[in-house]
Amino acid sequence: MNVARSFPVFAITFAAAYAILYVASVEYNWALFTYHPALEEFGWFVEKPKEGPAMYWYGWLATSVLGALAIAGVASRLPAGWAQRVWPGLSWVVPVAVMLVFGYLLRGYFFR
Amino acid sequence: MIVVLLILHALLAVALLGAITHQTISVWLPARKATGSFVGRMRAVAPTSYANAIIVLYVATATIGAIIYPSYRLSIRIVLQQLELFTANGAFELKEHFVAVGLGMLPAYWYFWRQPPAGDYARTRAVLTAVLAFVVWWSFLVGHVLNNIRGFEI
Repeated sequence: MNVARSFPVFAITFAAAYAILYVASVEYNWALFTYHPALEEFGWFVEKPKEGPAMYWYGWLATSVLGALAIAGVASRLPAGWAQRVWPGLSWVVPVAVMLVFGYLLRGYFFR
Repeated sequence: MIVVLLILHALLAVALLGAITHQTISVWLPARKATGSFVGRMRAVAPTSYANAIIVLYVATATIGAIIYPSYRLSIRIVLQQLELFTANGAFELKEHFVAVGLGMLPAYWYFWRQPPAGDYARTRAVLTAVLAFVVWWSFLVGHVLNNIRGFEI
């Protein structure tokens, strides 16, 4: 299968940017939309709980995907010389770091 | 309907667990010579052949998990909080975030495993596989434990 020459840069940048945007979305609640499961209603951006809890997870995913697509799209148009400097390890180093950050942010559940 | 989806979610997770475990073992502990033992054959599988199946199974399992997630929030999480099962609650919070982070790694995972395996990125390929394996194992075990705590009472 032929893959566009820019795809590796896109994929590596997407993995890193998405992970960073996701943890930022969770920490600062940058949800693109809110879901109210008890009412089965969606609302744009962050809404307070109505009846029952409000779910922001889907909105965090949407924010992260759109943001990472934009960043990776720009990165994949870098000149070839710059693109070759993108380290493939970013595709796992950043996600692993973000997972460790989540472990730290949620430590209160485990250490009481 | 939710129970059917929960069972389907679990079945897909089992398939995903098997596929990513085979791939991870064959990458990190490859068989150096042919052997007829169970473990030997597991180490000798062709890891490339698993990549597309793992991506499809990961996305499908996560999608069904996302569909049944509201039921968890409405019926299960509240009970976990009332019972003060903080560790179980936190483990699930980690699961949702780990799965989300894993989703973002899939394009890179696909690229580094595509046929023929991309360049000489053996280390990147191996670590991406190991990280996804960790996410899958964590999610499977947490889902299993939570199902034992409160499964099907939805």
